[in-house]
Amino acid sequence: MMSATSMFGGASLGSLALDRSVFTAERAQTRSAISEDPIEARAITAVKAGDAGSYGYLVTKYTKRVVSIAWGIVRNAADAEDLAQEAFVKAYENIARFKTGEPFGPWIYRIVTNLGLDLIKHRKRFRHEEITDAAPAERRDRADLPAITNELAARIDRAIQSLPEMQRIVARLYLVEQFGHTEIAAMTKLTEGTVRSHLSLARGKLKEKLADLHGGNND
Amino acid sequence: MTDDTFLEQLRNDARQLQYEPDDVMTTRIAARVRARVSEEAAGGVALILARWFRPVVASLAALSLAAIVGVGWLELSPEPAPGLDAVSSSQTVDVSVGGDVFSVE
Repeated sequence: MMSATSMFGGASLGSLALDRSVFTAERAQTRSAISEDPIEARAITAVKAGDAGSYGYLVTKYTKRVVSIAWGIVRNAADAEDLAQEAFVKAYENIARFKTGEPFGPWIYRIVTNLGLDLIKHRKRFRHEEITDAAPAERRDRADLPAITNELAARIDRAIQSLPEMQRIVARLYLVEQFGHTEIAAMTKLTEGTVRSHLSLARGKLKEKLADLHGGNND
Repeated sequence: MTDDTFLEQLRNDARQLQYEPDDVMTTRIAARVRARVSEEAAGGVALILARWFRPVVASLAALSLAAIVGVGWLELSPEPAPGLDAVSSSQTVDVSVGGDVFSVE
């Protein structure tokens, strides 16, 4: 892959340390690692000062995660790519509002999530136009699915996909993207209580569908 | 199995469902963002001013066009017959009182 240095003429790259875990302690460590990334902090300061080239570091560091979040919402590779691009441009345009010293990740995740939700709303509004194209759209979406060779993962994916829209989005952000309740609330503009409520409803349905996977029952 | 344990196990298993864009896609995104960011940076103040002034100029152009069309239409339309006011204001009546003549409009 082309590096940010070569594409934007920015600083050298650091490793992407965004892997969030199930446990709060690990999540806190990860968050701390992001905010303490000195290259990221320098890149943000430079971009704010007008050095557009330094933005490449941030783009390269967060692209994969941003695309994954976008894809989870829209379930379409082309739309996910466009959303990621728009999110980065929007973040750049509003970089002056960004507080120096804070991690860039949560901000760009919030932007891409909101863009994704807007796209879904737009799709709903014009759903009548899609009715005739439903079959091709479905085929296209399936074609965009990552190759899930693992049967367990495939079943989980299908179960999450069967959930109502907001439960699906919240469940995916929590289960797949490994975000916490507070982070999801910030990303989706929902209250933390609403996020927990969506997740609780999703959990009940997922437990029914996947009861045999984890030896669970509905008690 | 408790709800929490179920969700934690599910979370561990679902992690592998994260979408992994390929190198082509990530490179394309980076290139497009770079192009748009460079455009923004190069445009700078001029771009911002252009964004603000474009609608203003468009509105003024529309008004000018409407004015030109309006004036042209007025010029082309036939002269209207003078109304009562026009007749009364353009004609004067001379009144003679005691040898003096007064002109009344």
